Amino acid sequence: MAVQITQDFEENIRNFEELFSDCADIKKRRIRVGEHRGKECYIAYIEVSLSNVDWTDSAVGKFLKTLQGMPEGDLVGYVQQNVEGISDAQPFATIEEAAQGMLTGDTLVFLEGYGKALKIPDKGYPGRGVYETESEKVIRGSNEGFSESIKLNTALIRKRLRSPHVKVKESFAGRRTHTNVDLVYMKDLIYPEVLEEVERRLGEFEIDGTLDSGVIEQLAEKRKYSPFPQFQTTQRPDRAAMAILEGRIVLLSDNSPVALLLPATYNTFIQTSDDYYSRWEIASFTRALRYLASFLAMVFPGVYLAMTNFHTQILPTDLLLSLAAARQGVPFPAVVEVLLMEIAFELLREAGVRLPGANGNTIGIVGGLIIGQAAVDANIVSPIVVIVVALTALCSFAVPNEEFATAFRILKFMFIFLCGWLGFFGFLVGILGVLIHLSHLESFGIPYLSPFVGADLSGYQDERDTFLRLPLDFLKQRPVYAREGARTRLKIKGKEKQGNGKDTGAKEREGRK
Amino acid sequence: MFADNWKISLRQVRRLLVLDIFGLSSLMMPGILSSLTGADGIFCLLFGMAGGCLLLLFMGANLKQMKESYYHYMVKTVGQFLADFFMVFYFLYFITLCGFVLYQAVTLVLSWMLPEGGFWWVGLLLVLLAAYGTARGIEGRARVYEILFWFLGAPLLVMLFLALQKVDTDQWAPIVYSNGGDILQGSLSFGVFLLPLTGILFLKPFCREGERLASCARTALISVALLDGVVYLVLLGVFGGNTMGVLKRPVITLMSMVNLPGGFFTRQDVVMISVWFFALFALLHTGVFQSSLILKELFHEPGVRWSLCAASGLAFLIALAFFRNDVLEEVYGVYQKWVALPGLAGIPLVLLLAGWIRHGNVRQKGEGGRD
Repeated sequence: MAVQITQDFEENIRNFEELFSDCADIKKRRIRVGEHRGKECYIAYIEVSLSNVDWTDSAVGKFLKTLQGMPEGDLVGYVQQNVEGISDAQPFATIEEAAQGMLTGDTLVFLEGYGKALKIPDKGYPGRGVYETESEKVIRGSNEGFSESIKLNTALIRKRLRSPHVKVKESFAGRRTHTNVDLVYMKDLIYPEVLEEVERRLGEFEIDGTLDSGVIEQLAEKRKYSPFPQFQTTQRPDRAAMAILEGRIVLLSDNSPVALLLPATYNTFIQTSDDYYSRWEIASFTRALRYLASFLAMVFPGVYLAMTNFHTQILPTDLLLSLAAARQGVPFPAVVEVLLMEIAFELLREAGVRLPGANGNTIGIVGGLIIGQAAVDANIVSPIVVIVVALTALCSFAVPNEEFATAFRILKFMFIFLCGWLGFFGFLVGILGVLIHLSHLESFGIPYLSPFVGADLSGYQDERDTFLRLPLDFLKQRPVYAREGARTRLKIKGKEKQGNGKDTGAKEREGRK
Repeated sequence: MFADNWKISLRQVRRLLVLDIFGLSSLMMPGILSSLTGADGIFCLLFGMAGGCLLLLFMGANLKQMKESYYHYMVKTVGQFLADFFMVFYFLYFITLCGFVLYQAVTLVLSWMLPEGGFWWVGLLLVLLAAYGTARGIEGRARVYEILFWFLGAPLLVMLFLALQKVDTDQWAPIVYSNGGDILQGSLSFGVFLLPLTGILFLKPFCREGERLASCARTALISVALLDGVVYLVLLGVFGGNTMGVLKRPVITLMSMVNLPGGFFTRQDVVMISVWFFALFALLHTGVFQSSLILKELFHEPGVRWSLCAASGLAFLIALAFFRNDVLEEVYGVYQKWVALPGLAGIPLVLLLAGWIRHGNVRQKGEGGRD
């Protein structure tokens, strides 16, 4: 049961200190305030969250200095009229709420006669600040990345979307961690049902700790056994802002530099920020390459096995002979050879990720060049398999989203197995299986394969931003995630009369009705 | 959720129907038609298409009057007993179709892709995949073929275009040479391959614009008939009527003969078989879906689990029977032509007639009451 903060100053302090007994990192201090130092004030804060106690610099210092210059009788009135609600200064009525307020990294102030506790924001918890993103590199566009502070992250989005329609809905996850979770969205663009569904799913679990958005993602996913992620992740504020402009919802979690974007589809995982900053020819070319890469990252070793073991008639004789010559002396069957190399490569990748910066790069060189060459020289694998595995790896690196690329890396092993066993038939069975699975997959009501399927939902407009990214003036409509009637995102002035920029999806549906 | 409505679009239905009827018809029709009518086979395709359009007209009239599922419509129109009888008839058609298509797909795989393989593994994998696809509802099924449509269609059109240079137009003669009986036989044979279109009668509750299903099916039918016509003319021009009559699957043989420009890949047949593999799988998928739907309606099953298991198991056993006994293929041909075709064409007519009589009676009673 919550303990109320009363007019009894000493009792409030006793209750508070009882709650935080044996907490060496929490600093508590009594200070006398008022021009005659006739009243008492009590401040509590986490050691590193206050910049310093120098009156001139910190917010708390200035606040206390002001209190020390005022008559004792005016103190409470001053706080009520001039401090409450400014910035993040928030009054609390119970000890528990006050404690929680302090644990967000702010300073807590009890003032004699005030009857509440007041939270004063200051430096807060230490964080990295805004740094360049490690992943999702772009050739053109901002290099700012999300950090671990949720407040900073929402500010980075707000900086890009200066609209009152951008809403930030705050909630908490984790019974013990009490982690801030923010849903950021454009109120007039989203489907309210999607927001309700997100909130419903967030409310479906109660976990003791949420240390990263990944935990929320896994618990809120509908199809947990699918290798394909149903939430898109990003570390880029511009990507998140772009998603909000499309009518999607961004989920930010405190202590995590990774934002979740929802709904997510195959197409959104392939898109990058600079697709929209670069000219359409370049964007389309790289987009098509990425689609091809996502497919090859999954099937290339399998197709190699099917062609060399089962259907050699497809290949020209010269190529077939050179493949056979390259395999001479290799003691393993082709499937084992491919599996060995793939597992070795995955090990190298894992080792490269875990090792610190420079060493990680060294592992790539040692693994790729030295071990690969040695394995070929020792006749353990054929050079062609090294090429196949390297090309497959390149393809998986070309997929812009790590989680999404991992799905293809896992499925690659299924294809190796199927094609090694059943040849091209195994390949077809694998493709059918993946396709059937993907066609059943949905992310918050949107088909995962949209807009290749169900394009009629958006009046076939979304197909203009798939394999190819058509010129921007063709993309007048927001994708299907945006609410009907709020889909227009571009109007070319002087062309309105010709019907450009109209919400054709809604119009078509209206016509059909 | 707004997209999670268990309804499919007309584009999805159209693409699904095209794949459903193109796969088996293009694989088997050229051989049958050339042995019956030679170059006149093209007229059989035209007559078959006209017959199909007529049947769709009747089905469209039924679809217009249908307010709920086809089964309920039948019960309302002809009574419980006849409705159940018709449902059993439909079930027999779709389940045997499933078995036959599975048999054809397995034979295709074993002949061209996996000569060392066995029926059990290949058949089992295919039927399990079809069951997996059906288990999660019609939306997913429609999406698969919506995506595959152009991935299969584009290479096929390219290959047909490349095959044109091998066509000897002299082989298209003589024309208007066959007798009426052969032309009728050929048209009926093509009509048999169009019967999966009757499945649209069951689709109304699953379709976003159910009243336009018949016109959508008509577009699919005309597209397939035209495509089959092109395939037939190309095959006839390349092989001639006599050779084509002997070849079991002439269109696949053609794919092994066409060379891509550049000459890197020497044979494309294995790759191009995927077009027919996916098309046959689409039909198998349709068959399993329709059979389990009929069982579900007949036995009032709330879910689809048992109906699906029964339909998939039966399809596999029927395919196994086809695989073990060659005579069954001929028996099945006779069943299709002389039982399934008249039956499936007749049921919509009977329903229309019964509906018309019923409406007449109701009107008469109404007028009598006023008198």
